[in-house]
Amino acid sequence: MLGQGFVSAAAIAASVLFILSLGGLSNQEKAKRAVWYGIVGMAVAVFFTAFGPGIGGYWWLIPMMIIGAAIGVYLAKKVEMTEMPQLVAALHSFVGLAAVFVAWSADLERRRVMAAQAADGAMQEFSAFAALVATKAPDELMFLQIEVVLGIFIGAVTFTGSVIAFGKLAGKVDGKPKQLPGGHMLNAGAAALSLLLAIMYLNGAGFWTLILLAALAFFIGYHLIMGIGGADMPVVVSMLNSYSGWAAAAIGFTLSNDLLIVTGALVGSSGAILSYIMCKAMNRNFISVILGGFGGTQGPAAEIEGEQVAIDANGVASALNDADSVIIVPGYGMAVAQAQTAVSDLVRKLRAAGKEVRFGIHPVAGRLPGHMNVLLAEAKVPYDIVLEMDEINDDFATTDVVIVIGSNDIVNPAAEEDPNSPIAGMPVLKVWEAKQVFICKRGQGTGYSGIENPLFFKENSRMFYGDARDSINSLLPMVE
Amino acid sequence: MKIGAPKESARGEARVALTPESAQHIQKLGHECLIEAGAGEAAGFSDAAYRDAGVSVVDGADALWRDAEVVIKVREPSDDEVKQLHEGQTLITFFWPAQNEALLEACKAQGATVVAMDMVPRISRAQKMDALSSMANIAGYRAVIEAGNNFGRFFTGQVTAAGKVPPAKVLVVGAGVAGLAAIGTATSLGAVVRAFDVRPEVSEQIESMGAEFLFLEFDESQDGSESGGYAAPSSPEFREKQLECFREQAPDVDIVITTALIPGKPAPKLWLEDMVAAMKPGSVIIDLAAEKGGNCDLTKPDERVVSDNGVVVVGYTDFPSRMATQASLLYATNIRHMLTDLTPEKDGVINHNMDDDVIRGATVAHQGEITFPPPPPKVKAIGAAPPKKKEKEPTPEEKKAAEHAAFKAQTKRQAGLLAIGGALMLLLGQVAPVSFMQHFIVFVLACFIGFQVIWNVSHSLHTPLMAVTNAISGIIILGAILQIGTSSVIVGILAAISVLIATINIVGGFLVTRRMLAMFQKS
Repeated sequence: MLGQGFVSAAAIAASVLFILSLGGLSNQEKAKRAVWYGIVGMAVAVFFTAFGPGIGGYWWLIPMMIIGAAIGVYLAKKVEMTEMPQLVAALHSFVGLAAVFVAWSADLERRRVMAAQAADGAMQEFSAFAALVATKAPDELMFLQIEVVLGIFIGAVTFTGSVIAFGKLAGKVDGKPKQLPGGHMLNAGAAALSLLLAIMYLNGAGFWTLILLAALAFFIGYHLIMGIGGADMPVVVSMLNSYSGWAAAAIGFTLSNDLLIVTGALVGSSGAILSYIMCKAMNRNFISVILGGFGGTQGPAAEIEGEQVAIDANGVASALNDADSVIIVPGYGMAVAQAQTAVSDLVRKLRAAGKEVRFGIHPVAGRLPGHMNVLLAEAKVPYDIVLEMDEINDDFATTDVVIVIGSNDIVNPAAEEDPNSPIAGMPVLKVWEAKQVFICKRGQGTGYSGIENPLFFKENSRMFYGDARDSINSLLPMVE
Repeated sequence: MKIGAPKESARGEARVALTPESAQHIQKLGHECLIEAGAGEAAGFSDAAYRDAGVSVVDGADALWRDAEVVIKVREPSDDEVKQLHEGQTLITFFWPAQNEALLEACKAQGATVVAMDMVPRISRAQKMDALSSMANIAGYRAVIEAGNNFGRFFTGQVTAAGKVPPAKVLVVGAGVAGLAAIGTATSLGAVVRAFDVRPEVSEQIESMGAEFLFLEFDESQDGSESGGYAAPSSPEFREKQLECFREQAPDVDIVITTALIPGKPAPKLWLEDMVAAMKPGSVIIDLAAEKGGNCDLTKPDERVVSDNGVVVVGYTDFPSRMATQASLLYATNIRHMLTDLTPEKDGVINHNMDDDVIRGATVAHQGEITFPPPPPKVKAIGAAPPKKKEKEPTPEEKKAAEHAAFKAQTKRQAGLLAIGGALMLLLGQVAPVSFMQHFIVFVLACFIGFQVIWNVSHSLHTPLMAVTNAISGIIILGAILQIGTSSVIVGILAAISVLIATINIVGGFLVTRRMLAMFQKS
């Protein structure tokens, strides 16, 4: 058994390592080292806590960890990079569920200790967490209860929310926003009821209040995320990321464990910042994203004139052969069609022909922050030609050919030109300024948000219909 | 038809309207080519070269004027030449019908058809015969070369062992074809070039050639595209503003190239005596408008004058002729394209189609009628581009004030937030137990560190960031570990499940992050 001193020192070391790990993600090279900081930090934290004072139950603990690790390894090996959003969402749900369980356990322990103390009025030997509870003063116990409530509520919302987000991202649940009749009133009602239950619990009601509370929170998580459309998923996933952190922090308070608090706070703020960045990139208010659906429009959208002109692979290839500079703008459609390898091959050929090829990535392209970067990296596209929106937006005017692959709203000129558009004011990639724009798209029709895209009707736009991967592959032999 | 090019009679004119190269193309149209002996000599084309190209070399101008059914020339005809024109003959040349009414009258009297190369309308289809642009291009280039010849320093800035040489500063007034050509030549020689034009929509062209556009703050700016791309006279107020701008530039620039012309009007005086006086000794002014009276007060056509303060003012009017070979090649090609349009069937028969916009516009006398001025062309010259609005640059004071205000607002907001946060902490401290507050301090600090650290994460690593935070949030396992040693069975089971799923999270999260990061590669 290691002493308390060891455990505290380990907690400090782990906290520092976690901070370094997150800070190291500022660039690609440092990031590879940063992961190791995280792994070592986690190993230190788990090891020293597990072998710290007052811990038992190793016959439970160790087998469970081994089984969990095996499942984790299997998942990490098996997952396709295009499935990253689902995986992340699924993992969030685990944290949420664990938080609920731990908080429930904490309350059960508290009840047990209180009952025992009331029964014989004397100090009794408790093991593990119960021993800690036994030393608490009444006002501390009161706070402990508040923390338990918070832990359960946040954890439960995270759990069902993540499960639904996972379903939507994996295509198992319909991606369209859906709400039960009553809409947000239902959420508000459930939240009010939760508050009532929490107050009852704090005033000494039984354990059933906590179970009911969790059930209500489960419902809120489910209903909230069901009401959010697929296009807003980047915000949802980062929001759930944030929640899972806050849940961990709340549990940390409950268990008086600083390492949990620190880590939870780090994760929580990270998710919050990501959500903020995503919302800003869509020019949407966080609240309106969470409440689902686009804000009301002020008038009819501008009429679109012109027609969508289709083009075949030959036409695209000859334009590419003539071009000096090419920018590719990928979106979720590239991920769906698994076209990243084909795109990478095309880029390699074009670059070999001495053309300047770059990628323009919108912050909310894909279903996860940074989703496109990961896919392109998987396809071995060098990261120094993959640029952010702000870095590349001014260069479109001097570009010969832009290829838009499976993105829609992020290249919609209506955001800039039509004040009545639902996405008015959202920063977009100005692809239409280029000399020629080819749009790889499965067919006519609007994207996730259901907004008509005037880009497709512009004079310098040509529609390159078909599955993105097949389309790009058909280009390959024709490009010199 | 016989196409003939006489030797230019104007003094000093070295160009020729037919080159061996263009002759070959013209012959493919079914025509026969004649040239007066020695006509190409000054431009570097020998009679032998013409003969090799299948051109009949004719001795003496009289024979040529008699035999040729179409006469192609560079300069407008002299009185002697007009007398040799005869009924049914076509003359293709620069004619300047607006300035040469008497000459036009005389040609009409001779019954000849006159096609004025300077009247070719400025539409895209006619660009290949736009001889004014070809000549202006040469003039612009030559103006810079001439300036360099008269300028005692380098164009480009250099740091040498013998000292530092500042780059020459060139101001180009009027960004037509000549002006743009001058800008291009001067920038490629390494000079710092500024340019001015009354038409703000050309600013883009100027900047694309690498010069800085001198922008005038004025509401009434011209839209040159309305008048076929040419400038129109400006109001006195605008002129004042313009002169003020030049006056500011005069002491600073080393070379001034003026190209300002208004069609059918004397050249506007833009570089006044006091501006010349303000220039540094050794500076050079090249006045490409000298033929029309000059843009500079001191300009004397065809002369190089030196002002009292040592500024050289060059007023040559024959810049294209000074590069006779190049000018002839381009001009002959323009003429050849005109003939192609006049011979649509390529059968050697001229079909003077007066319904064709280009031919109609360029023809000033036809079948005993004067057909000048032509009706406006059916096709609009250049698509009217809306003038680009330049955003006003804030002055340093305004910038400073704005910065100061922003700083103040930020301070206010931060102070407000801190005050509210402090008050909340105080309230919490009143009710919360001490042990809670200790943990709370840790929590708040961790949030702060989190915010600071996460802002630096690059956009492209957001997915790995989520995966890492995901793995780290598996720290919840500690909670389960702390509880698993309990004697309560239910708690034990709950804790065990928590350990299981949190481990999946930790291991899965870290491994997947490593997989992702390993993929990021530099090119």
